[in-house]
Order: sequence, then structure tokens, then C-alpha cells
Amino acid sequence: MKMSKSKSGSKMPQLPMEPLVDCVFLLLIFFMISNILKIPPPFTVDLPESKARSEFARKRYNIYIHESGQVSVDDVRMADLDAMFNYLLLKKKEIETLIIRADKNAEHGVVVDVMERAKQAEIDNLALAISEDDYKGM
Amino acid sequence: MQAHTHEEQMVTERSDRRAPNVDMTPMIDCVFLLIIFFMLATTFAPLPGIRVKLPPPGQPSREKPKGLILRISNPVGGSDEGVMILNNEIVSLDNAFGVFMNAAPEAKDMLIIQAGRQVVHDQIVKIMDRAKRAGVVKIGFAMVQ
Repeated sequence: MKMSKSKSGSKMPQLPMEPLVDCVFLLLIFFMISNILKIPPPFTVDLPESKARSEFARKRYNIYIHESGQVSVDDVRMADLDAMFNYLLLKKKEIETLIIRADKNAEHGVVVDVMERAKQAEIDNLALAISEDDYKGM
Repeated sequence: MQAHTHEEQMVTERSDRRAPNVDMTPMIDCVFLLIIFFMLATTFAPLPGIRVKLPPPGQPSREKPKGLILRISNPVGGSDEGVMILNNEIVSLDNAFGVFMNAAPEAKDMLIIQAGRQVVHDQIVKIMDRAKRAGVVKIGFAMVQ
């Protein structure tokens, strides 16, 4: 009796595993979220509406284009398109589809410039984001 | 003995009324879990968008590209929409869907939008929406020189 008790004690110190597993799962979930959590852009963007839509995964490194023509990658404001190009070049391994969130009153020229720079940075998959609300027009 | 139990009952009754000893820990655990769950649910919701194609970089090919070419002029004179021309005919946002539907099936593989710099992004997305719904597979952009 005494022998078996001491043996089981030395082999497996009876640690309760459940709280540990709970904690680990919680931490796992927490870090998964914090990694992809929406990063607020430095300005608000009013996305255009469209009925035709595909769906893309929410990831980091989205491009925001303000109606004044300002560009930012997530929350990092870009001074000009060259800065954006260099930034994209650095991060291109992590970008699968580059999602461009352009304001509906933004100029088309800026949007195309951004797309051209992305192309130069060898990012081939591009998408224009549209409003998540239901389409109200015709 | 009797008096004692009576007193004890009194005491417990009073303490019951003052502070009902509710264990808060499981509730807080639950609330945290729910918060995390809803945060996850919103971040994993897919993001709607329209895929676009750009022509390969380098010199544009001399030969006439296949597919539809839509040209949009810069908006002039107070209007916020540019004039759209598809195959030498003017289209509007209202009839664009029908025009795309009636286009030859082999032309519907690709639409190239050639728009002026000052065209509003909203108009571009609207015309892309019509084209996608009419069955155009790929949409690309070319810059007006």
C-alpha cells in the first residue's frame, strides 16, 4: 500500500490538468484574436456599395484611401506612394490578397496608382473592398 | 439550547438579507468567455470585396486586347459622373447591366476600365457591380495617358 502510493507519487505528481488546459486555450484564443483584430485606420473611410461581391478573409495589411487622397496601410499613415511601395515590399510575404479600402468619393487616379504600386511590389491578388451593409440601390 | 438556535436563525436571516453571498467567479469567467467569443465571431466574418486584375507590368502589347473596353471621361461641369463609352456608344449606369448582358459571350471574359483620374471611385465600383452581375469574369484597369 505504502509502496504503490510513493511510486505513483514519484511517477506522476497528481497535478490538476483541467485549469491548465483551460488557461492555455484561453491564451491561444486571445492571441489569435489580437493578431487579426481590426486595426483602426487614422481616418474614416466610407466604402462604396455593391451587390456583386466576393468574400475575403480579414487579415492585416489593408490599404485605406481617404477621399482627400491620403493613403495608409492599416494604422500607419503613408507620406507618399513610394513610402507605401517600400512598406508593401517589406510585407509582401504576409499579404495574400491586398484589400484596398477606398472611400467612395476618392479619386480613381489615386486608386489606380495604389494598384500599380502593389503590382510593382509583385502583389498579384488585389480586391476593392465594398460596404458590409446590404445593398440599397438598384 | 432553544434560545441559542433561535438566535442563530435570526443571525443567518439578517446576514442573508444584507449580503446574499453570491459567488462571482464563475459568472465573470462566463462573461469573459462570451466577450472573447463575440470578438472572434466579428473578426472571422468575411470581408466583402470585388477582385480586380491589372495588366501585366511592362510595355502594353500593341495588339488590340480582347474583351470589352469601357472608357470613362473625367466628370465635367458640376456633374459627379463621367461619361462612359463602351464600343463607341454611350452607356449610363442604368442601362449598363443590359449592355453587358447583350455583349458577345467571348468578350465577357474581360472588362478593361479606362477611366480619367478625377472619376469618383463610387462610379467605378458601381460599373464593376453591373459588369460582375452580368457575368463578366475579370475586371482590369488601364490608365488614360
